[in-house]
Amino acid sequence: MARGLRLSSELIAGVVVGAVIGWGFDRLLSTSPFGLIVFFLLGFVAGVVNVVRSAGVAPGSAER
Amino acid sequence: MKIDPIHQFNIEPLFTIGHIGNQTIAVTNSSLYMFLSVALISILMIGGVAGRQLVPGRFQSMAEISYEFVASTIRSTAGTEGMKFFPLIFSLFMFICVSNLVGIIPYTFTISSHIIVTAALALLVFFTVLIYGIYKNGLKFFRIFVPSGVPIYILPLVMFIEILSFLLRPVSHSVRLFANMLAGHIALKVFAGFVAMLGVSLGAIGWIGGVMPLALTVALTALELLVAFLQAYVFAILTCIYLNDAIHPGH
Repeated sequence: MARGLRLSSELIAGVVVGAVIGWGFDRLLSTSPFGLIVFFLLGFVAGVVNVVRSAGVAPGSAER
Repeated sequence: MKIDPIHQFNIEPLFTIGHIGNQTIAVTNSSLYMFLSVALISILMIGGVAGRQLVPGRFQSMAEISYEFVASTIRSTAGTEGMKFFPLIFSLFMFICVSNLVGIIPYTFTISSHIIVTAALALLVFFTVLIYGIYKNGLKFFRIFVPSGVPIYILPLVMFIEILSFLLRPVSHSVRLFANMLAGHIALKVFAGFVAMLGVSLGAIGWIGGVMPLALTVALTALELLVAFLQAYVFAILTCIYLNDAIHPGH
């Protein structure tokens, strides 16, 4: 359970932070909904990168 | 018989110190348990080294083992230069470990089951990495965002994702500890509640059937003991890994 929660927290953090940044971006620049879409996807990508790194599949800047 | 697994995480003010604006500043049960864990750590460390015997006793070897454990973790992940940060990492590890272990005892409060506490600790680590990295390496610190061997036309996108994944660190760092403690304690409470629920609703048969959730509760408590230590260790080792980026960027 510890490992599962560890990996899922990485992914969830990515998606949530991406969505929050996108939402704030949209509010500031009133570009709704494109900021949300772009940052949501980028956040998802960054989350997957973190999951892959913390699972130790690929060497990342964090664990080299 | 009502099961309320969230009740154990209630913050109750014990006495009020003062007010800032409309916000009441009070000593709560959370801060009481923080003081308690700090006191326990102080007793262990100060009492452990007070004797200074060549052949360590029980207390002294506990203090020595915890020192050696954290020191070897730092040396293996952040190198010898990481020992500069030994006080920070040792404090974080001992605080989280002792408060988690205290939290397993029934009727106690688990500090790290509140995200505000873990977020404060994770942000402390995040800003330490950021400020020390820039102080020590100057602008070279930002090289961690530029991986080597990436074609130039895709570099902006990769850099952006790297920056985003750097910003994600404090979030996942804090959510991991918080979610583990919260989920573990709720599961424990729910399974323990089944014993009483079976007994009250089914009578004698229920009390006999309640042996199974009781056994599961015992097993879960053992698991929680492991998780309490493991999460403190994971928090400490990730702190070391992040600090390693600040000490040696752009490897």
